[in-house]
Amino acid sequence: VRLVVAAPLAGAAVGLDAVPDPVFAGAMVGPGVAVDPERAPSTVVAPIAGTLVKLKPHAFVVTTGGGDTERGVLVHLGIDTVTLDGEGFTLLAAEGDTVEAGAPVVAWDPAAVEASGRSPVCPVIALDAQPGDLDALAEGPVAQGDPLFTWS
Amino acid sequence: MVDMVDMVDRRVTVRTPDGLRARSAALFVQAAARAPARVVIAKGGDDPVSARSILAVLRLGVWPGDQVVLSAAGDGAGRALDELAALLAGEPDRTGA
Repeated sequence: VRLVVAAPLAGAAVGLDAVPDPVFAGAMVGPGVAVDPERAPSTVVAPIAGTLVKLKPHAFVVTTGGGDTERGVLVHLGIDTVTLDGEGFTLLAAEGDTVEAGAPVVAWDPAAVEASGRSPVCPVIALDAQPGDLDALAEGPVAQGDPLFTWS
Repeated sequence: MVDMVDMVDRRVTVRTPDGLRARSAALFVQAAARAPARVVIAKGGDDPVSARSILAVLRLGVWPGDQVVLSAAGDGAGRALDELAALLAGEPDRTGA
């Protein structure tokens, strides 16, 4: 099954090696693409349809399928943003919700994150995938909902 | 020669700064994947999950101060648990990874 993972927000698609965190940059969390977001308040949406199995202000995971075919996509809103304790983030969904691709999940302001001295870049990660499982990796400007990568 | 290795358990209080969220979970899962033994991790009374799946580990929702139980069987089970338990306890990384 080819799963198209959509950009959860608008910005510039960049390789994970551009993420200022060695664990993400080294694809240790998993392969994927990061979005360097537009510096304006925005709503971050689900990159795939599925279940919102984990939701924190700074990160969420959507899964699709079950059993051995289950796939999970992590969206991480900025780097080191866990230390903001949710300040500046508004949850628009609840953990356990069933969501469509494009459903609002979190509202935030990347400019405020940047002003706090943190990077607002958002890694979008295919959990438990191998690098060769992904193709059609986007690069450059993306609108919210544009294909970011395909997971085979 | 067949080794009959009993399942070994280790109860650990997690002391990494972020519990087992993206960063620490990634390091933990990579260490588990390197170990020849098969390791599972459980929190509370929940069913154990594979320590090699970052999705499964993230889904556990482990925070600093939480207790988890690691279990392993197979080659080097005890050594694998030593390494993973040290990682969760926030001890300095000895693997150089």
